[in-house]
Amino acid sequence: MQNTIQHKFEKEIIQVQTRDELEAVYQTYFARKSGSFSKLMQGLKDLSKDERKLYGKALNDMKMKMEKAYDSKKAELNKVELSAQIAKEHIDVTQPKLPVKERGHIHPRTQVRWQLEDVMSSMGFIVEDGPELESDYYVFDTLNIPSYHPARDTQDTFYIKNHPDWTMRSHVSNMQVRLMHKYNENGTKPIRAAYPGRTFRNEATDATHEHTFYQFEALMVDRHITIANLVGVIKELLHALYKRNIEVRLRPSYFPFVEPGFELDIKYVDTNKNEKWMEMLGCGLMHPNVLKAAGYDSHKWNGLAFGMGLDRLVLLKYGIEDIRFLMSCDLRFLKQF
Amino acid sequence: MLISKKWLHDFVSLPDNVSASQLADCLTMHTVEIEGVQEQVKEFYNIVVGVIQTVLPHENANRLRVCGIDIGESEIVQIVCGGSNLQEGQKVVIAKVGSSVKWHGEGQPTILEKIKIRGVDSYGMICASSEVGLEDYYPTEDEREIIDLGDIDAPAGMNIGEALGLDDTIFDVDNKSMTHRPDLWGQYGIAREISALYKQPLKQYHPASIPQVSVDKQQLHVDVQDTEFCRRYMGVIIDGIVVEQSPTWLRQRLFAVGLSPINNIVDITNFVMMEIGQPMHAFDKAQLTVDKDVQIIIRKAKKGEKFTLLNGKKYILTSDMFVIGDGKKAVAIAGIMGGKNSEISNKTKTIIFESANFNPISVRKTAVALGIRTDSSTRFEKSLDSVNTELALKRAVELTLQLCPNAHVVSDIVDVKQKQQIPKQIVVPLDFLASKIGVHVDIKVILDILHRLGFGVKEKKDILYVDVPSWRATKDISIPEDIVEEVARMYGYDIIGMSLPVASIAPPIDNTLRELQRRAKIMLAYEYAYTEVYNYSFESPEWLQQIGIDTSKHIELDNPIAKDRKLLRRQLMPNLLENVEKNSHRFEVVRLFEIGKVFLTEQSGELARDDGGVCLPRQDTHLAIVSATKDVDVPFYDVSHVCITLCKQLSISVFVKDVGVPDISFFHAGRYANIMVGDVCIGYIAEIHPATQKVLGIPYRTAVAEINLNILVNHISDNSCYRSVPSFPAVERDVAFIVDLSVHHADIVLAIENVDSLVESVVLFDVYEGKAVPKQKKSMAYHIVYRAQDKTLTSEDAQKIHSKVIKILEKKFKARVRV
Repeated sequence: MQNTIQHKFEKEIIQVQTRDELEAVYQTYFARKSGSFSKLMQGLKDLSKDERKLYGKALNDMKMKMEKAYDSKKAELNKVELSAQIAKEHIDVTQPKLPVKERGHIHPRTQVRWQLEDVMSSMGFIVEDGPELESDYYVFDTLNIPSYHPARDTQDTFYIKNHPDWTMRSHVSNMQVRLMHKYNENGTKPIRAAYPGRTFRNEATDATHEHTFYQFEALMVDRHITIANLVGVIKELLHALYKRNIEVRLRPSYFPFVEPGFELDIKYVDTNKNEKWMEMLGCGLMHPNVLKAAGYDSHKWNGLAFGMGLDRLVLLKYGIEDIRFLMSCDLRFLKQF
Repeated sequence: MLISKKWLHDFVSLPDNVSASQLADCLTMHTVEIEGVQEQVKEFYNIVVGVIQTVLPHENANRLRVCGIDIGESEIVQIVCGGSNLQEGQKVVIAKVGSSVKWHGEGQPTILEKIKIRGVDSYGMICASSEVGLEDYYPTEDEREIIDLGDIDAPAGMNIGEALGLDDTIFDVDNKSMTHRPDLWGQYGIAREISALYKQPLKQYHPASIPQVSVDKQQLHVDVQDTEFCRRYMGVIIDGIVVEQSPTWLRQRLFAVGLSPINNIVDITNFVMMEIGQPMHAFDKAQLTVDKDVQIIIRKAKKGEKFTLLNGKKYILTSDMFVIGDGKKAVAIAGIMGGKNSEISNKTKTIIFESANFNPISVRKTAVALGIRTDSSTRFEKSLDSVNTELALKRAVELTLQLCPNAHVVSDIVDVKQKQQIPKQIVVPLDFLASKIGVHVDIKVILDILHRLGFGVKEKKDILYVDVPSWRATKDISIPEDIVEEVARMYGYDIIGMSLPVASIAPPIDNTLRELQRRAKIMLAYEYAYTEVYNYSFESPEWLQQIGIDTSKHIELDNPIAKDRKLLRRQLMPNLLENVEKNSHRFEVVRLFEIGKVFLTEQSGELARDDGGVCLPRQDTHLAIVSATKDVDVPFYDVSHVCITLCKQLSISVFVKDVGVPDISFFHAGRYANIMVGDVCIGYIAEIHPATQKVLGIPYRTAVAEINLNILVNHISDNSCYRSVPSFPAVERDVAFIVDLSVHHADIVLAIENVDSLVESVVLFDVYEGKAVPKQKKSMAYHIVYRAQDKTLTSEDAQKIHSKVIKILEKKFKARVRV
């Protein structure tokens, strides 16, 4: 009979589907008072000592087996339930977190400017800006641009009403003599400086022209500066900027504040895989008149300077075909960066 | 400027193995930028000589003919044509199928295909001159007239460029790259560079001397009234002129360099200008007022003097402009253009040639003031060599006598000139050259380069004594650095190589303002979701008026690009509001910021010169942020949150101060505050007045803040320091109460914090108005943390202080604490 109980129990256990059913079966047998197996155990006390010993051991063995069956069923059911839960909790992993939190955007011009500033700064150049409304003294006079030079024409330069000697600077070169004065301790110290900034030209805007744009320029003055040094410094800058060696070439050009003056081209590969040269920047050795204006003895000091359109780099980097987007303040444009 | 390879060949021979593109590269690398190379023959691809064999009527069109044409191929081709002058046996220009032509000389070139015209097949086109770019070469009146090649010695099928001798190679020079080189503004100057570059001999420029006159001499008087303006003036009278079309070779040359042939005399002056860069002019003597002798006066114009130029336009002159006069009237504006009144015409029999050297600055100023730039003024602006005045006149006379067999010189050659200044010798130590170039260049190479370019050089004890040739001495070359350039460019920049300068490794001086800007931009964009914009520095008075901003203090541009943006911004806010207006029609959330300079005339900025004295207007860098979001009723808090937490992250402790109702009509009177660091106001936060917002066309409530970063940067302190992690637990309590609407959060926090040092933090977590709260009141709830540094705070201890807090709230703010 005892064996029958065990069999019956095991049979019932196998059939249960849930933990509640399992618990119910268990209680039928093992509830403290009413459980059928518990009753058997209680019946032991009515037996003789020897019988008790004999049956007691058998019942205990049986109980262990039944509990083992119960435990393993319980573990099995737990496992099934957990997998059911996992299956139920499946999510769309491709869905974004809601509500969507938007971020803001930094203007592409700023991003390119920072790259340039970081490189120049790492090469020991001070990075500084100055007045955008500037005297013709710093925009022209100190740069060896005489009063009759075409650059001073009103079709190129914005002038300030009632102040004929004030302009909206037409290049950032106004910073050359300003920075040299500020840092060269009356012409006794070398200087390295970079000065990106806003510039203005009085011309009609179209896809390739803006009246307000940004330039990037840098200068270096020391005892010994050569044409070979100029190429060296620019190549280092380009290497750091583009993370590869850039082939460059100098060709003759003319800017009043340098002598000799050059145009620097960089080699690139076009979409048809042809190697081509692209005009990159203007540069040269600082004109002795500029060194003098900055308080240096031009026989003892030499300088180099180079400058480029910062906005052009931005257009090139992102393939933007119309410069007017940069000043458009249009979120449809700005949100792409 | 265009350069003709054939013309160059008059003066220098190029080695055979040098291609046109190699020559262009060589010039670009050593002299001037060549922007393009064009083979004339290629321009006439598939455009050939044809001979009309048959001309038959077209069945379906009266004005069309069906022609059979020999184009040198095995079969006669059929072409339908509407030409008005078609004849059998005529030599014509045929554009074959596949060639590129301009229909009726207009629009973009199109590629010809075989087509049916009114039902008849047509394999190409018989061309009018404007259809194949030959309008200057074969001028016509009637647009239906096709080119008649006449008895040209060219077989059917020959490329038309080849047939017409238009088989030149043209180099396009970037004019900007030779603004400092007057000598390069003619073919001869470029030839000189080529001769130096390729070490080829240069043919001397030696036009024949002008014949002397002994009988029937006419008198020419030249009166130069201002020798500063006119450094040299030469003139001569030639009689027996027959004005007609120039011979083919001359028209070919002018055509090659982009000039339209006009007539032999005008073409000669243009030819000489294109050859050596010296502008010339020819007057019709019959049109001058001549009193026995011819009078040429170089004088200042009278103020208000009216004058009609060759281009047919009338100009009003000013007294600082110079004209050429005949004693009675002006006949040319000096150096710019001749007058209509003395133009060479078919009737002209006697001419006066002018070759002169005018002041570059004056010519340029006049050209700019009148708004005319001519080939002549462009060249005078560059400071011409006065030696060329004479060469040009000789060359022009030589050509005139050659082209007009009956022409003869009838006056003396007049030459009014100032003593030519002999340029200073330039002293260049060899080690100076080396120290500038950065590599050693052999002395023989240096001497060779300078000699080939026409410099006189002597070397003594490693010092060069350099004499500058007249054509480089007018302004181009005057200091040793100029000689460095000559040597280095001819030696070759590409072989100079590169090296790094020797310099200090000291790190650069910090720029705290720039660092502040960068940190602010990163935080604003990536933490607070604001987008950066760049606005113009210029503002529109109309927009400012719409907002209600007083424009009396704004700095104004003297020559604005557009009348509508002529004021310099004094703050960033107005343009940002314009951005909000534009973007708010597309986006429901508009959050923008800008960092930029503003211009205040009443405050002093940097010195305008280094010798002291006047200061420029102050130009501080501002940060402005603006926020407008659909359904956000109090954007003020969005903006104030950003300002305060941003500054906190920059280690600047700022607070917002209610300064009462601002006297600014376009701001919301109840939503305005100053941003303070200690006692210093660094900016403001405000909401736009709802009425202004409506006027501006902005659909959402809008808040702005503007901070002066130049002031803010002075308050950055990097003394942030660590506080130890608390060792004892805290007791936390909430308190909620009802107070008047006028009570300020900032005052409450301050009052609670001052109750006891055990108050660790006070955080507002709810503000409520409306249901269950009486009118003019609000309910506020704070979370307060109490903690002792040296022991565990019992709840009894904390309760004691919390009760005190409640008492203070009730006493100070009349708060009704909710239990």
